[in-house]
Parts: sequence; C-alpha cells; structure tokens
Amino acid sequence: MESLNVYASRLVTKREHFAPGHRACQGCAEALAVRLVAKALGQNVVVASATGCMEIISTPFPFTNWRVPWIHVAFENAAAVATGAEGAYRALVRKGALPEKGTVFLGMGGDGGTSDIGLQALSGAFERGHRFIYVCYDNEAYMNTGVQRSSGTPFGASTTTSPAGKLKAGQVTWKKNMPEIAAAHGIPYVATACSSYPFDLMKKVEKAAKAGGPAYIHILSVCPTGWGLPSEKAIWIGRLAVETGVFPLYEVEQGRYRITVDVPAQRPVGDYLKPQGRFRHLTPEIVEQIQTRVTAEWEKLRAKTAL
Amino acid sequence: MADMVTLTIDGRRVTANAGTTILEAARDANIDIPNLCSNEELHPYGSCRLCMVEITHKKRQRLVVSCIHEVAEGLEVKTATERVLNVRRLVMHLLLSRNSTHPRLREIAAGLGIEKSMFPVDYKGCILCGQCVRVCREVVGVSAIGFKSRGDTRAVATPFDEPPGDCIACGSCHYVCPVGVIPMEEKDGVRRIWKTDFPMAKCSVCGKYFAPVKQLEYFRKIANLPENHFDTCVDCRSTKK
Repeated sequence: MESLNVYASRLVTKREHFAPGHRACQGCAEALAVRLVAKALGQNVVVASATGCMEIISTPFPFTNWRVPWIHVAFENAAAVATGAEGAYRALVRKGALPEKGTVFLGMGGDGGTSDIGLQALSGAFERGHRFIYVCYDNEAYMNTGVQRSSGTPFGASTTTSPAGKLKAGQVTWKKNMPEIAAAHGIPYVATACSSYPFDLMKKVEKAAKAGGPAYIHILSVCPTGWGLPSEKAIWIGRLAVETGVFPLYEVEQGRYRITVDVPAQRPVGDYLKPQGRFRHLTPEIVEQIQTRVTAEWEKLRAKTAL
Repeated sequence: MADMVTLTIDGRRVTANAGTTILEAARDANIDIPNLCSNEELHPYGSCRLCMVEITHKKRQRLVVSCIHEVAEGLEVKTATERVLNVRRLVMHLLLSRNSTHPRLREIAAGLGIEKSMFPVDYKGCILCGQCVRVCREVVGVSAIGFKSRGDTRAVATPFDEPPGDCIACGSCHYVCPVGVIPMEEKDGVRRIWKTDFPMAKCSVCGKYFAPVKQLEYFRKIANLPENHFDTCVDCRSTKK
C-alpha cells in the first residue's frame, strides 16, 4: 500500500468536509488527521467533539470548518453524546420518522479527552455496543492549554507539569495503552493509525464505519509546538515513530491482531527521540530504558498477531 | 463562480454548478445513487449503468445515466422509481453473473433485494467498468492496458496478452479497481503485476525497496529530474538534510 503513494494520492476524493482555513499551528498533524478522517467518512456523518485543540481551532465564533453536522460537548462526554445521537437516530428510523440512510456517528477527542477525562463515558459506550466510531487524536499531552502532561504522555517527555530538571527527567510514568483498553472491551474493530500514513489511516476509518458495532481508532498526531519540532518535520517524525516501533500501526478485527505497516528492520528509538525538544534532556541510560520497553512492547504485539 | 442551476432530486430542490453531472449534484445533496464506474478524477464513462435515474424535462420522461447526464435548470430527477429500480435490478443480475462474490457488489445487490443472479454464473471477476484502463491513460499517461475483444469475451488485458511494455508498475489499476481483481504482489524486491515481474529500486541509505525502477525512470523523464534524484527513499531523503 505504502509504495502506491504517487498516483493513488491523485485518485483520492478531493471533497473536503473539514474545510481549509482553520486556526491550527503550522505543521499540525492533528488537523491533517481530522481532515483525512472527515474525507474517509464522507458527508453522511454526525460528529461529537470533545473540548480540545480540534474544537478551538475549527470553531472560533462565529466561524466553523465543519461541512457536516458537528456538536461540541464537554471534555468527558464526547462518546456519550455521539452514542446518544446514534440512539435517537435509530429510534426515529425504527418508528419510521426518518429513512435509514446509513449515517455514521463519530465521537472524537484528544488523548486527554479520551484516556483521562472521557474514559468512563467511552467505556460505557463500548460496553453498550452502539454502532459508532470513536477517534482519539493523540498528541501526547494537553496541548490546547499549553502542554500539560496527560496519561498519554510518553515516559521521559518534558511538559509544563512534568518538567525535566535535576531530580526528574520529565514524565515518570509510561504511556497508557489506550488501544489495548479499547480492545479489551471486545469491540469489533480497534486500530492505531498515524497521519504520516494517510492511505492506511483512511482505510482503517472506512473499515471502522462498516464494523457494525463500536469501533475505536487511535491516531498518533504529531504536535510540532508541544513536541519541540520545526513545523516541517511533523510528517517525518510520525513516520519515525512507526519505523522505530514506538507507535506500531496495527488493527484488531474481531479480536484478531494484524500489523498493517510492518517494519522488518526497526530503527533505534534514539532516531525518534533526538530531534524532539521534549526529549532533549534524556541521558543515554534513559534512552536505553525506553528502547528496552519499546522492544518488549513490540514483542508482545508480535506474539498477539501470531495467535 | 460558475453559473448555478436549480433542479429537483427526489422532491428536494438542489442547486449545482452548471456542467456538473446529476450524480455529483446528488452526492452533494447527500442523496445516494449506487455506482461502480464513476471516479471524479476521470472523465465520465457510463459503463456500469447502475446509476440510472429517471428525469422529467419539459414534460418528457426518460431514463438517463446520472454519471454522464449534466444538470439543467428545472430538471426533475427521481432516483428510485419502479422503472429505475427495474433497470438497476437487471444490471445487478448481470453484474452478479460475472462476479457473484465481491462484498461491495453484494452490498449494493442486497440494497436492491437481490440474493443471487437470475442468469447462469460465469465467474470472470472483472465487471468491465474500465476504471483501470482510464486511470492508466488519463492519470498515469502510459496506456499500458486496454480492452480486448467484444461482446461476452471483452476483457481488460495487456497488448497481445504479453508482458506490458509500457507498464511502469505503479499499481494505480490495482488501487482503483472497485472489485479488487487486479492482483499485485511485492516480495524480495520484485513487484508482480499483470503477470510480469518488475524489479524495485533499493534505497541507498536504509536499504528498503521503495518503488519500481521503471516508475522512477518514468518520473525522472516527465519531471526532468537529475539522475541521482531517486537514489534514496522518501524517508531517507528528509533525514539526510
């Protein structure tokens, strides 16, 4: 799939449902991810968006970037509102008040809105088995309010609430494995994606829309501002995250694991950590520690795909 | 802005740019018309006949193919009359007799209430929508494949069924095929498509095979790039800087 990129990119639809002219920072890979998700889902979709970067950049009053129905809700209940809309729609269809048009319901939030604050509502929505998609745009901290740590922040990253100093080298806990939590609910479709691999991402979103039950997609969204990167390096660092094995791209379909972008020869994690300002303080020992963890996680994932 | 025209689709007033097709106008208005051969990157072709609709223009009613027919002022379009559905069902029976298994076809068929074809099933896979042939000609610009024969033996093929001389192994035909019957495999630095092996170029930095040699040669030629432009893959090109 990857090496098809040149002509395939010309054949993807040019219809945009997330309009240009939003107020994201230069090089924001999260806005790119939103655009690709909106593109893959088409026009027949209802979006419920948690508070976060994507809400403030796309809907500064009185403007909007959304060409599809879009609801802004509080941090904790994006999943609840998306499933509520879905429930209402199905009820109206059942009573014959609306025709069945295959409308897709999408809940979305950042890593904070998903793995910290919104986890309870999300878990409930998965458990109730609504036919909806939840997309987590993971930029690994609360970037909207100025880079505070979240449970999605990786080990060793310096943020304003986990600053690197004499006593501690940034974040002291490991990143919460949100896709695994979603997969543990036994929902039909879970996938990880990255906006540096657009075709892979769009394919997964299309699959999620057809899953026939709750689907969860975790998208690594590079944030040049919060990660301490030049804006033109956003796509490149996303690819490095995959090539070093820090963020493996896989999908879980009906409990079956499959790695979608395989990396036969992984690069050392140093290649990924070094260009980023938030990891600037790391000593070789800590890098070694991260490498050990990444390798172990990768082996675990490999073991699951072999099942 | 282009001139706008107003038409009615299924009782809804829809405004569209003059010169667009009924199918595009319906898609913008979120009205679903099944189709298999239309692609906004390619010229309208009208081969699958699934997108048939009934129009009333100046008191005349007739069936047209919505992916080709342009919108006009005051046009009245109905996408799901009994007459339209009859045609669609017949088309679907015919398509299913060529390819009875593909999920996308089965999904559209189920929407029309068709379980299996009323015709004898002669599995060919290809539904002759021509997207691969058109992509190769219009987007890639090499015309390495085309249609051969007529009637029920019509098929997409390489010239004389031999290894295609003009093919650059870009895989666009494989990507665009709505029923996924153009196989493409990649193994050990060789890409196999149209029953021909194409060697892949190796990145001089990371050693990954990243694109077919013939494709890179073609890009160099049309974009007038220096000889060493494609020595490295995309990732390594940005790392070096």
